[in-house]
Amino acid sequence: MLDFARVQKELVECSKDAEGSGIKVSPKSDNLVLLIGTIPGPVGTPYEGGIFQIDITLPDGYPFEPPKMQFKTKVCLFSSDHCLSELVAVMVWIFVWHPNISSQSGAICLDILKDQWSPALTLKTALLSVQALLSAPQPDDPQDAVVAQQYLKDYQTFVNTARYWTESFAKESTRGIEDKVQKLVEMGFPEAQVRSVLEAVGGDENLALERLL
Amino acid sequence: MEDYATSDDDFHYSSDQEDSVDAYENDDQDYALLSSKGPTTQVITKESLLAAQREDLRRVMDMLSVKEQHARTLLIFHRWDVEKLFAVYVDKGISFLFAEAGVSVDEHRESDSVASAVMCLICMEDVPSNELTRMDCGHGFCNSCWIEHFIVKINEGQSKRIRCMAHKCNSICDEAVVRTLLSRQHPDMAEKYERFLLESYIEDNKRVKWCPSTPHCGNAIRVDEDELCEVECSCGVQFCFKCLSEAHSPCSCLMWELWAKKCRDESETVNWITVHTKPCPKCHKPVEKNGGCNLVSCICGQAFCWLCGGATGREHTWSSIAGHSCGRYKEQEKTAERAKRDLYRYMHYHNRYKAHTDSFKIESKLKETIQGKVAISEEKDSTLRDYSWVNNGLSRLFRSRRVLSYSYAFAFYMFGDELFKDEMTEAQREIKQNLFEDQQQQLEANVEKLSKILEEPFETFSDDKVMEIRMQIINLSTVIDKLCQKMYECIENDLLGSLHHGIHSIAPYKSKGIERASELSVCWGNNVNDTEMLLSEKDYCIYAASVGVTAELDRPSGSGSSDDSGCSSRKRARKEGLGGGFFDLNLPAEFVDRN
Ligand SMILES: [Zn+2]
Ligand SMILES: [Zn+2]
Ligand SMILES: [Zn+2]
Ligand SMILES: [Zn+2]
Ligand SMILES: [Zn+2]
Ligand SMILES: [Zn+2]
Ligand SMILES: [Zn+2]
Repeated sequence: MLDFARVQKELVECSKDAEGSGIKVSPKSDNLVLLIGTIPGPVGTPYEGGIFQIDITLPDGYPFEPPKMQFKTKVCLFSSDHCLSELVAVMVWIFVWHPNISSQSGAICLDILKDQWSPALTLKTALLSVQALLSAPQPDDPQDAVVAQQYLKDYQTFVNTARYWTESFAKESTRGIEDKVQKLVEMGFPEAQVRSVLEAVGGDENLALERLL
Repeated sequence: MEDYATSDDDFHYSSDQEDSVDAYENDDQDYALLSSKGPTTQVITKESLLAAQREDLRRVMDMLSVKEQHARTLLIFHRWDVEKLFAVYVDKGISFLFAEAGVSVDEHRESDSVASAVMCLICMEDVPSNELTRMDCGHGFCNSCWIEHFIVKINEGQSKRIRCMAHKCNSICDEAVVRTLLSRQHPDMAEKYERFLLESYIEDNKRVKWCPSTPHCGNAIRVDEDELCEVECSCGVQFCFKCLSEAHSPCSCLMWELWAKKCRDESETVNWITVHTKPCPKCHKPVEKNGGCNLVSCICGQAFCWLCGGATGREHTWSSIAGHSCGRYKEQEKTAERAKRDLYRYMHYHNRYKAHTDSFKIESKLKETIQGKVAISEEKDSTLRDYSWVNNGLSRLFRSRRVLSYSYAFAFYMFGDELFKDEMTEAQREIKQNLFEDQQQQLEANVEKLSKILEEPFETFSDDKVMEIRMQIINLSTVIDKLCQKMYECIENDLLGSLHHGIHSIAPYKSKGIERASELSVCWGNNVNDTEMLLSEKDYCIYAASVGVTAELDRPSGSGSSDDSGCSSRKRARKEGLGGGFFDLNLPAEFVDRN
């Protein structure tokens, strides 16, 4: 059974020094199974200035089993004639270009999220490890072979790509609420509904889209 | 099954009885040499598993003066390779050995009693200090967190190495603590834990493997020497110890894997069909092309281009179709040729492989017929009493049929393109192939001769004629044995031995057939009658030893005293007695079952 008491305590602990660390964990659902973690891109890396969101799923055995963490993906829907009922393509983008993070799925290759997990670790320490991973990639144990190759063979291009991704995606999530309203309205949803839904999900564009659909 | 098991030692290669028969029947010195070493494989049954494991545990415990749980952790880390463990100990010292495997022997049991309540860093609750457990590494957490942790790890199949909960602590949790904490509230998990620990001896041990029988016979086999060998479990299943599939020498494991797969899906035939038919783009029925130009039409009326499969109009010339262009002609033709050639080649080898496998099956029935003939002959008023030469000849026939049959699968890969294309030149390959086929043909000819002679109605013959047949069979058997031996040597030295990549190696030829693993069993003390030990006692013994208790039972009087290891492993005194069937080995499993 998921230890809710501990998760509650962790959330409280984490919010205490969210200002200092920049690391936030907030529940996505009432049952505390789905959470969203936020980490700032480390200073002095191509990820600097980006705010990265991580989807967290707590397994039943948490904290004795590791939490599942994945960089949040951005879903772009392409529809014909702005009619959402005729969805023609779904594209998934992820915000981060990194050898240990799948550029397809956002899956993270990090030992403490697998066999090196210890129940003494917390969501916050795990997120700190992810942040540390952004600073110090381990291309020898890659999750994304393409990125890892580039990192090893053409470092400058890697840095440029990573920075470009940070600029174009990870910063976008901090856009103002009006931008998001506008975008969703353009997709064909009524403005009043868009506003109320966006408010309900705390401004998360993707969650809002899921609800609207 | 029961009958089979009780007759088991009668066929043991090194048993006196058979040796004497052989000495008489075959004055072939190789036999004696090959069998003199005795069995190097042993069957580990559910009952003997503990004893087998304890042997190794005790060696490590005595040598390093450590507790059983630490010995087990060390052995599990080194995959039960005692020699390797000692080598590391000698080379790098005890602290390295311990640290590497996660054994902590420093005691950290101080000062807990001072504080009345401590915060557990896992559940973040304050717990009374008597509900807190510290491991050898010094890390302490509350009991309910430990229990949760153990359950998760055991369910993940990690019983063998449950690490401490502290981050980056490499220490392995003390077996005794795991047991104590679990047994109170979760006896089922404690049992599961025990079982995993026991089975680790098989699963993490490179010299021990489960018997691959289905349904599983419950046994494992331990080989003491070379892992590259073929063995027979006491349940009758014969297998390659290395890859666990049926015994397949002189094929290498990889060759056999490929061959078995090929035979299963008949991939060549499938290839041929895909090359010679194409689905109609309209109705999707396969359409065959038999000669002619590349415009084909389906019975549904649709015309299409054979080369690319695309629907076309009907207007065309020999070399082009109106309004359609694609340039796949040449390539396609080549593929078709190759597929056809490959198929014929496969069929050539497969037919011969199959022929020997089939006659092997038919000849298995010979056993009954021959038994009848022997019975009749023995009734006769004759000076000849001993008919074991018939049985020996038949066993030789079975063994060599197997060799022959697998030798075709071997040849298919040895001289084909799939595995060794770049390993030898065309000319080299031809020389090797001639060399091999020469031997194969000689062997084949002699095997067929032997097969024929064994079918003779010798029970109706005069003594002189019987003696003549006897000599022929004995001579042929010797020749065949030598030829098999030679073929294995040729494969090992001249064919596979010359290759750059050493991944192909074959189980050595055993003149006596596949070795049957001898039984390793638990017994008490020195008393031979202890094989009759009551089951409940035996269970207690296993239980007691597994929980680390010295077994002290109120045992029935006169049954000796238990030694301090609780159970000692000793080979059971061989059951004497003759009887049962007269085949030692190399019968297919289904044949054994029928008897
Ligand atoms: Zn606790
Ligand atoms: Zn520890
Ligand atoms: Zn078996
Ligand atoms: Zn094999
Ligand atoms: Zn058709
Ligand atoms: Zn034509
Ligand atoms: Zn075409």
